[in-house]
Amino acid sequence: MKIGILNYNACNLASIYNSIFRLGYDPKIIEKRAELKSIDKLIIPGVGAAKNCLDYLKKNDLFSEVEIFFKKEKPILGICLGLQIFSKNLFEHGKSSGFNLIDADVVSFPNKKINIGWRKILINDKNWIEFNNKSFYFCHSYLLKFNNANDKKYCKARINSQEEIPSLIIKQNFIGTQFHPEKSQTVGNKFIEKFLNWEPNN
Amino acid sequence: MGTEQLIRIIPSLLLSKKKLVKGQNFSNYKNAGNPITTILALDSQKADEIFLIDLDAYKSRKNPDIETLKKISEILSTPLTFGGGVENIEASKKILMNGADKVFINTAFISNKKLIEEIAYIFGSQAIVAGLNLINYKNSFIISEDNSKRIDPINYIKELEDRGVGEIKITYVDIEGSRKGMEIEYSKKILAKARVPIIFEGGIGKLDHLKECCENKINNIAIGSLITFSDYNIIKIKQYLNNENFEVRI
Repeated sequence: MKIGILNYNACNLASIYNSIFRLGYDPKIIEKRAELKSIDKLIIPGVGAAKNCLDYLKKNDLFSEVEIFFKKEKPILGICLGLQIFSKNLFEHGKSSGFNLIDADVVSFPNKKINIGWRKILINDKNWIEFNNKSFYFCHSYLLKFNNANDKKYCKARINSQEEIPSLIIKQNFIGTQFHPEKSQTVGNKFIEKFLNWEPNN
Repeated sequence: MGTEQLIRIIPSLLLSKKKLVKGQNFSNYKNAGNPITTILALDSQKADEIFLIDLDAYKSRKNPDIETLKKISEILSTPLTFGGGVENIEASKKILMNGADKVFINTAFISNKKLIEEIAYIFGSQAIVAGLNLINYKNSFIISEDNSKRIDPINYIKELEDRGVGEIKITYVDIEGSRKGMEIEYSKKILAKARVPIIFEGGIGKLDHLKECCENKINNIAIGSLITFSDYNIIKIKQYLNNENFEVRI
């Protein structure tokens, strides 16, 4: 199995690379569209800003290549911004269009608050129940707001808080986490392992 | 963010010539060991985050030690904030792509607030931590690097927030390393106005000090001396806070 990590010229690249490497894999950093063709599972890291990231992916023909990758039903893990770009519209530094897999907008918190720290997630999917009530590390100033109540079914975990923070999204061969599994110590490693062994639709 | 946010216990470490060091009131630095072994231990003790500042880079205003950062990143699954001497977008990029999850910037923002917008545009606000070193001055506090002595720290924090800083670490220089306890009253004033998470550092020398912080909603606490030169470790600290019924991750 070949694991790719998409480099969009921002992101916490070494953090995610090292976390996969420590689990006993040899991930490849993907910088050009051709490199994506031989990859079986793709990780799209976080720590970036929406507009800059999407502009970069589109300008370098990586956006369309990720769409092809997704359509081939190969598994993708999007972390933080890597999740958010699979929404319809993003509003960080102006409006930009995401992959539109989830009918949601990515907006800032009310009063421009920021969510940084460890929080327990509540899982509503039996396939992922081992992570129920476990603490993961969050670090984000934007979050998903569903436009369509029907798409809420893809939300498999949330934070129990005054604002509803979608924390885990699963749709077809895509998994998106608002938290950072690569920075969530033992429980985060278990989550990444589960993704690396995951077969969609099973 | 509500009550569900867990308390963060954040070891705050200083790097100098590839070693960790610990001082008092920003002077008299002593060797505090190897960064890799120390950080690996903190990771396994479930430190909530780690802050590492390159002291030599901070003093000389040069770029911090990326080689050591890379080595640390290889072993660390805890969120890491790294900085010291960072004054431009290139240095920030190197830090964030070579093993840190947030960049720590101190002095540079006083003269160059545009840098905040530049970093936020590429990496997002959540990746920027601004550091403020506060010193006592006429019954209140001023920023130690502010030679004019005129900037009100609370107004300054608002300006940093407006520009797009994601988090702020306050260090009380006069009590830093003193083990006399946290500056509670001024911290409460800051928290009453702040929109972004604030991390407080300085003076924590025993477990009671941590309790006092948590009782006053000072929930993001950086510690140095308490773990560097004592028998306490993160496990004991969190166990204590848990027994006192505060919400910690254990």
